[in-house]
Amino acid sequence: MNAKAMPGFIKAYVRYVDAVNGVLGYVVMYLALVMMGLLLFASITRYVFNVPFVWIIEMAQFLMAAYYILGGGYSMQLDAHVRMDVLYERWKPKTRAFMDSLTAFFLVFYLAIMVYGGFSSSTYSLKYNQTNYSAWAPPMAPIKIIMTVGIALMLLQAIAIFFRDLAKVTGREIA
Amino acid sequence: MSYEAIAVLMFSTFMLLLLTGQRVFGAIGFVTAVFALALWGEGAIEMPFASTITLLNWYPMLTLPMFVYMGYMLSESGIANDLYRMFHVWTGPMRGGLAVGTILLMVAISAMNGLSVAGMAIGATIAMPELLKRGYDKIMVTGVIQAGSTLGIMIPPSVVLVLYGMIARQPVGQLWLAGVGPGLLLATLFILYIVIRCHFQPHLGPPLPREEREQISWGEKIRLLQAGVLPLLIVFSMTGLFVMGVTSMVESSAMGALAATLVALFKGRITRKVMEDTLRKSLAVSAMFMWIILAALAFGAVFDGLGAVKAIEILFLEKWGLEPWQVLLLMQVTYLIMGTFLDDTAMLIIVAPLYIPLIISLGFNPIWYGILYTITCQIAYITPPFGYNLFLMRAMAPKEVTLIDIYKSIIPFVLIMLLGLVLVIIFPEIALWLPNHVYVK
Repeated sequence: MNAKAMPGFIKAYVRYVDAVNGVLGYVVMYLALVMMGLLLFASITRYVFNVPFVWIIEMAQFLMAAYYILGGGYSMQLDAHVRMDVLYERWKPKTRAFMDSLTAFFLVFYLAIMVYGGFSSSTYSLKYNQTNYSAWAPPMAPIKIIMTVGIALMLLQAIAIFFRDLAKVTGREIA
Repeated sequence: MSYEAIAVLMFSTFMLLLLTGQRVFGAIGFVTAVFALALWGEGAIEMPFASTITLLNWYPMLTLPMFVYMGYMLSESGIANDLYRMFHVWTGPMRGGLAVGTILLMVAISAMNGLSVAGMAIGATIAMPELLKRGYDKIMVTGVIQAGSTLGIMIPPSVVLVLYGMIARQPVGQLWLAGVGPGLLLATLFILYIVIRCHFQPHLGPPLPREEREQISWGEKIRLLQAGVLPLLIVFSMTGLFVMGVTSMVESSAMGALAATLVALFKGRITRKVMEDTLRKSLAVSAMFMWIILAALAFGAVFDGLGAVKAIEILFLEKWGLEPWQVLLLMQVTYLIMGTFLDDTAMLIIVAPLYIPLIISLGFNPIWYGILYTITCQIAYITPPFGYNLFLMRAMAPKEVTLIDIYKSIIPFVLIMLLGLVLVIIFPEIALWLPNHVYVK
């Protein structure tokens, strides 16, 4: 075993989290087409057959929430999130990794609070059968649970990225 | 500590955290969560999560993933290449003509998409190499592409105006129509600048050489005009059907996405790889925008809890005793200053809710103000040190264009946009004529 490597359980953690978010992201990206289909269906039924379905648009809204939250971990893997790069741009890759491993705390703290809030909000909705304030009035618990799971996966991804940065800073192998 | 002082502290902490280079949504979210907990204790722990429900119920937000997808699909479809060819041949023979053609190309792209990113990508990858090859000045070209791409959020459809409409509770249809006049005005000003500058300094934008012009027959020239047909169909299927009342706004964005896909399919550009790449990039960019919006909404909610709206009103009207016009100008100036440091999406969501109630109570037209706001956003979008365009230009532009070139290139265009802003302030009719004309009937 290589002395300059991260501990085995950390390597395994990073590998599993990357794999789960990668697969999930690959599936979720097709939701864009599903949303498109739903919206087109809504316009056809309403305009051509004069049958408005109130639930279609709302269903598309729910899908959108699932889309960007379940896809969140994958978007972090792709490093799609903008940063204010006025200083960041000038740093060497290793300095960037060092700063990122420090400021990862901000991200982890925020996502952890989000997971906590999502969990307590989902529990509330389950307990009181909360419905959305709309004509269709669907139950809120399912989408809240989906969002909470998605945010939790983002939290795991943020920690995995932290380990990767740490490996880069200490010059150890992680893949 | 007074609430005003806390609000200032919160804002400055946020700016400071941004400098560390952490992802913008992470920085906003962290500040929000910490201040909410410090101010209101454990009861506020659900506050950051609560904004997911707000966003869930903002149904016009559905246009965002649709436009992002559509933008990538358009650049895959080859429509932009054909359009560029058309403008190249028709405007190329005059001085600075290719740059003028590029602005016209951007106008066409803007009318087909609601984001600035699409125009930027198309301009930097299709137009820019051609212009550089033909001896155009690289600073001129870089500026043209960046300025042209800002039209994307002004000429309908526009995602920025959708966001503004949701925050200000104004009809998005009227906002979109109000963007047409000022968008075309800015495009005209850009073109005038290019033509005049290249007339006096022909080396900045030489006309196409005679040999190249003579190679193209009139038949070929006429045939190239067909490239304009497909974009017109896309614009009709989207904005046209929406203005006619056939589709709702959200449905029209799905129509546009479908139309772009069909065109790409028709031109035989769709392979499994193209489809997957488009969907992957769409997810990445949509998630990026959505997470910033999500974190900024929660930030705004904490600000609101601090009574910042009232505080600003008291500060401007009572403490400083400003006239309505002075308030308006001061707001634009603060936007311009903040916009250079802040992410423009985050700025819209955090600052607009503070200003809009005051604007309405002072008797200004909120539709017109939305347009002023958008022009300011366009300027914020291209001014350093923070601008998506810098981020994108560096990634997409050819190697010979340096960061200094990018910074220098925008100066004349920022001045032109400021002129446009002043014109729309003095003559509100530029924005309001079209919506008044269409909606009064």
